[in-house]
Order: sequence, then structure tokens, then C-alpha cells
Amino acid sequence: MFDEKLEIDEDEELSLLETLDHVIDHGLVIAGEVTIAVAGVDLIFLGLNVLLGSVETVERVLGERERRVELLLGQVSRTAFASVSGAKDTHAAQAGEGE
Amino acid sequence: MSLYVYCLGDELSEGAFEGTTGVGGAPVRLLSLGRLSAAVSDTGEESVAVTEENLLAHNRVNAAALAGSTPLPFRFGTRAAPERLAEYAASNEAALAEALARVRGRVEMGVKLMSKAEGEGREAEGKSEDAAVGRGTAFLLKKRREVLGGEAAKLRAEALAAWLAEGVAGLARESSVRFSPSEAIVVRAAHLVERERVEEYRRRLRGLRAARPDLRLLASGPWPPYSFGEVGR
Repeated sequence: MFDEKLEIDEDEELSLLETLDHVIDHGLVIAGEVTIAVAGVDLIFLGLNVLLGSVETVERVLGERERRVELLLGQVSRTAFASVSGAKDTHAAQAGEGE
Repeated sequence: MSLYVYCLGDELSEGAFEGTTGVGGAPVRLLSLGRLSAAVSDTGEESVAVTEENLLAHNRVNAAALAGSTPLPFRFGTRAAPERLAEYAASNEAALAEALARVRGRVEMGVKLMSKAEGEGREAEGKSEDAAVGRGTAFLLKKRREVLGGEAAKLRAEALAAWLAEGVAGLARESSVRFSPSEAIVVRAAHLVERERVEEYRRRLRGLRAARPDLRLLASGPWPPYSFGEVGR
């Protein structure tokens, strides 16, 4: 369901949170018929807790991904520097555009 | 007897759910409701547990329906006796037909916008201001920052939403947008997009993302139209 082409999103956790965001908070409702509760806690309250938690998770997962990309870019630029001495800036810029 | 209900549609086919399991691993079947039909599972009187598996199963069944035609998804956890479901479909017939016409041939796409370093900047600025003054003044400065920051954040969220709306203009047939200026996810938008224009929409979002490296743009979809099919709520 997650948009792989846009997000390159292999992250199951993020995908689950997006699903939660959609199925808990939206959709048709038959009045009086949503009766789910967990240990006496209404689904709406559970849903709110999940959604509040999800913001932090989204930030954390995206932050980690950015760090991975930065690390990768760093490696690319270092490799470029090692293989083509004196051309570091050009290669680093190209790697940045590629992402 | 009670049914777990996934979605309603006027073009649903039994074949769409072949091999798809529903909540609690239950099979999915179509229940005819006159001109409409509903995708349901027989769950008896047992309540459906709120688990990762069941949440995903709810969406999985809706996604299977979406592969053939655009349904009106129910909210997770909806259970009803067959006669109650039939009564719901009959008493909301016109509104449901209208909602189905609204989403026909379209899917929901989602976008969340987050700022990368907004909070950190304000925090650092505050600490350097507070270090030079007494506790009382620091308290008042903090309050002042909250008031000014709140107003600025609201304007910024509105500007971001306008920027996004402009970016998807002509592709989003309808939009549902929520602002949360003080939260990490500043803008949550759902767009109703023609199926054949989804690729074009994705290209447009890639362009928007490239234009604003200061933002995190989290895109998802296609989804069943959870945000556009609400009737009689």
C-alpha cells in the first residue's frame, strides 16, 4: 500500500502506521455499531494513543533514513575523492543530485 | 449472528476477494444489499481484537476491492447484524449512491508534511536568550516566544498547505486537509485522484519534494477512499 516509487519505502513500521492512520480514523460508520474495545478501553482512545505515538515514530524512521542517505553520500564522495584525486567537489555534487 | 463489514460498492465482485483472508483469518464473502453489495466476514458474536494483523487485514480486503473498482470503505472495527446492515444500506441509499459516484474511477493518495529543523532552531534560540536574563524575565520571554511562535506556526502551516494545493492543482479532484501547526506533522492531506493520473500525481510530488529540501514529504497510496466516503456520520 505504501508508495514505493515515491518513498522507496521498505519500512514496514511506517507502512503500518500509515494504515492505522487511515483505517482507525476514517471510513463509513454505522451508528452505534463500532463496538470494539480492548480491556475496557474504547477503540477511539486506543486509536488516539496510537496516532500520537505514530508522529514520533514517523520522525524517527525518516530521520534514520536521512542519516543512511547522508552516510551513503559521504561514502560516495569519499570514494570519488580517492579514485579521482582533486575532483571531490564535482563528484559529491553529482551524487547529491542523484538522490 | 454478526458480520464484520469491510466495504460497500455497486461494482464489487466475489472474485476480487479470492485468496484474501479477512480479520481473524476469516474468509471474505459478498453480501447482496439490493443494488449495492458489501464485503463481509462471518465473525459470530466474538469481538474483533485490535491487533496489527487485523488492522492490516481490514485494509487488505479493501485494497483487494480497490483493485477492481473503488469501494466505500468502512472504519476498522465495524460489525453489524445482516438485517442492520441491510437497513443501513436502504435508509442511506441516495447518499451512498452519491458517495460512490464521487469516488468512482478515483483513488485516495496521502501526503504528510513535516518540517526538518523548526523545533530545534526555536529551542536553541530560546536557550541563548534565557541565559542572559533572570528567571522571571526568562519565563516571560518563554511565554512571548510561545505566543509569537504559535501565530507564526499557524501562518506557516497555512502557507505549506497552500503550496501543496497549488502543487497538485488539476490532479486532486478533491482534497481533505488537516493542519496541526504545533505538531511535528504540520499538514496531513488526502487527495482524490483519477486512477489514470496517479503516475502524473507522483511525478508532481517528486518535483515538490525536490523543491523543498527543508521539508519531509511523506507520500502514500493508492488507498481506498477512506477520507472521501463518509455518509451520515
